[in-house]
Amino acid sequence: MTKLYPSLRLHKRFILTLLLTAIFIWSLTSIHWNSELFHTGGIPTMLQIVEGLLKPNLEPSILLVGLESAWITLAYAIAGMSLAIVYAFIVGVLASGTLTSSRFSRIISKVFFRGVLGFTRSIHELIWAWLFVAAVGLSPFAAILALAIPYGGILGRIFADMLNDVPEQPILALKAAGSTRLQTLIYGYLPLVWADFISYTMYRFECAIRSSAIMSFVGLGGLGFQIQLALADLKYASVWTFVFFLIALVIFVDGWSNLVRKGLTDHKRKKGLKSGWFSVFFALLLIAASWLYITIGEQAKLGELLSQKNLEYASKFFGGLLGINQENPAFLNGESWITALKLTLETLEMSIMAIGFATIVAFITVIPAARNIANGSLTLKKNWYNRILFGVIRLLYIFSRSVPELVWAMMIIFIFKPGLLPGALALALHNFGILGKLWAEVVEDMDPRPIRNLATAGASKIEILFYGILPIVLPRFLTYILYRWEVIMRTTIVVGFVGAGGLGMDFKLAMSYFDYTQITLLLLCYMILVIIADFASETTRKAVK
Amino acid sequence: MKKVLSGIILFMLVFSLAACGQTDDKTNEEKDDKKDKKTEEVFKIGAIPDQNASFLQTGMDAVAKELSEATGLKVEYVPSVDYAALVTGFQRGEIHLAWFGGLTSVQARNLVPEAESIVQRPRDAEFKSVFITQEGSGINTLADLKGKSFTFGSESSTSGHLMPRYFLSEEGIDANTDFNGKPNFSGSHDTTYKLIESGSYQAGALNISVWEAAVKEGKVDTNKVKVFYTTPDYYDYNWTINSNVEEVFGSDAKQKVKESLLTMPGDSTEITDLFQTDKFIETKNDNYEKIEQVAKELKIIK
Repeated sequence: MTKLYPSLRLHKRFILTLLLTAIFIWSLTSIHWNSELFHTGGIPTMLQIVEGLLKPNLEPSILLVGLESAWITLAYAIAGMSLAIVYAFIVGVLASGTLTSSRFSRIISKVFFRGVLGFTRSIHELIWAWLFVAAVGLSPFAAILALAIPYGGILGRIFADMLNDVPEQPILALKAAGSTRLQTLIYGYLPLVWADFISYTMYRFECAIRSSAIMSFVGLGGLGFQIQLALADLKYASVWTFVFFLIALVIFVDGWSNLVRKGLTDHKRKKGLKSGWFSVFFALLLIAASWLYITIGEQAKLGELLSQKNLEYASKFFGGLLGINQENPAFLNGESWITALKLTLETLEMSIMAIGFATIVAFITVIPAARNIANGSLTLKKNWYNRILFGVIRLLYIFSRSVPELVWAMMIIFIFKPGLLPGALALALHNFGILGKLWAEVVEDMDPRPIRNLATAGASKIEILFYGILPIVLPRFLTYILYRWEVIMRTTIVVGFVGAGGLGMDFKLAMSYFDYTQITLLLLCYMILVIIADFASETTRKAVK
Repeated sequence: MKKVLSGIILFMLVFSLAACGQTDDKTNEEKDDKKDKKTEEVFKIGAIPDQNASFLQTGMDAVAKELSEATGLKVEYVPSVDYAALVTGFQRGEIHLAWFGGLTSVQARNLVPEAESIVQRPRDAEFKSVFITQEGSGINTLADLKGKSFTFGSESSTSGHLMPRYFLSEEGIDANTDFNGKPNFSGSHDTTYKLIESGSYQAGALNISVWEAAVKEGKVDTNKVKVFYTTPDYYDYNWTINSNVEEVFGSDAKQKVKESLLTMPGDSTEITDLFQTDKFIETKNDNYEKIEQVAKELKIIK
């Protein structure tokens, strides 16, 4: 018995891998695999979509609409992020407990505000958007707040973590010099975490662009609105034009955030200064322009959000969700629970399938996608085709992650029959690009010496992969898989909106039928799923360490 | 240095927000000024997005123009992405007049009890849905649909979902279980026939008026798609006016709007094209009792 334990520990990763593979295979059994999964006309429809991709609609009128919508999408994202930063800053500081003095009040403040941050980020931004639209109407502020709340939750948590991880010595020194708590925060903590916080914010900003684009699916403007209209009319060529605008926007933000991060981490002061000031002015310009556009161009008034009328509708709406004056609320009905829980299980299977597919594709493509393999610096071998392969795969990654899951789902639903598979595929299509990019960065950052050793000893490519690269990067790969799975779990409800099965599909129907208590029931099931996913991924991550 | 920089970025973000708060105050004052002049309010009309969006925009803009000329109000068409969004806008009093389907008008009147269905087309009193399939699919009756793939229109559509589902259930077909896979909701009637034409789905049901227009204008290839079943009559589309109209636009506004609608389409080809009719007639809430009853039976409303 005493011998068994260490050997179990030794093979922990192996056992875990087996277990995760088994879970993935179990999720695949939820689908009857045969040719019936396709529509009879699925293939021709797919060809039409591909034709649109190759020949996007470049009429000037469409391009103009695209440009305007791209600006709306960008403006909402910027306005939402600027609010998110304020929220993250305030609640993050409170959640870190750096302002409280006694031990007891620190624990209370930590638990409470971390709970607030956790709750706000566990609900997908589209659900927030929908709640806000129902409560305050179709105001741009519905979109902005819907972006600010979950993003503020994520940023706030990271900010709190950073504050807690600050090295102790400078803080102790300040305290010893007699500074107050606030002074310690401003002169001690903040200067130490600024750079990290900003680079993380820039990284999140890219995600916010995509989220902003899909806000239109509850009826707010932007690129998603145009994509949806064009899809409804089956004009695939225009769909791709708008998708390309979105991709361009994502690439632009990606490039900018790389620049800022480089400026913050580079030690070459002169260069950092220049691009730093440039970024400051550029950010200010964008923020001012966005808020001006929203308050003046779109005439959205923040004060109107709290008007008597809105309060009345909001209370009516939330009363409806709570089943006030309802004879038989769905969330107190056993039968409704059973059907909802079945959907919950389906949704869980969909998320596992999605991460499984994404993992497989990313795994096949990640090695050529790493820069140090493409230029031969890792394996000490140069091949002309490696560079081409690198370019193609990286382009594929950008393409895959720039298009939101929801848009992928809306197209896939024309090819596959409604059900779990199209939902899983849409989620996988979006996530393999993200996973591949993150993994490729892991490979790029790894210690090259063991690999060079293997390469000079004459190991083949496959041997290098299995004996050199994988053992080093696998734990981090797994961390990213689990992290993406959590995100996928949150998004499952959203792809269901367009008929891709699971809880989301029923959620959409309940919304169309104004069946509020059913919505509450489905939201409860969704929350259960998100909590399970967070818990499962946390324990697995700990087990790997 | 870089820390100072990043600090500046952060603080500027916060300050720019504070600046925005001030502009909000200003716009609020402007709003208070506006409240005194009630006629300044824009009369907003909407339509369920059951057809091609640009086509709908052209037709509804023409309606807005005519209404504006007849009533002297500032009229604007507000497009919406789905049926439920329009009903919600109507509930919130933000849409004053809406072109609803039978089901959405019943939903809207459930949420706004004082609202009234006022005007319809002659054909809406005897509306029908058509069931279509690809030529040579072997589907000739409703009973043949068992085990085939099927698409409705929007889930909130009367002629694209509610009544087809009802007539299917009369034939003993449960749309949730008897098809090959779950039924799809295409979102609009135009999308439905396109999905059948491309072969994406084997059969579907849609609004007879949209179908006839598509055939007439050659938008659908009748060598590929055929109608195999036409439903019995039922009441469908109508103009529903919101309960707040008299309060916001004056006591004669409702009557004026109604009269103006009854004179349409006049010589406006845009309106004729969109509504496929040469005149409008009066209607009343009671005409839609059957729809309400069916929707309750199918548990679509409570």
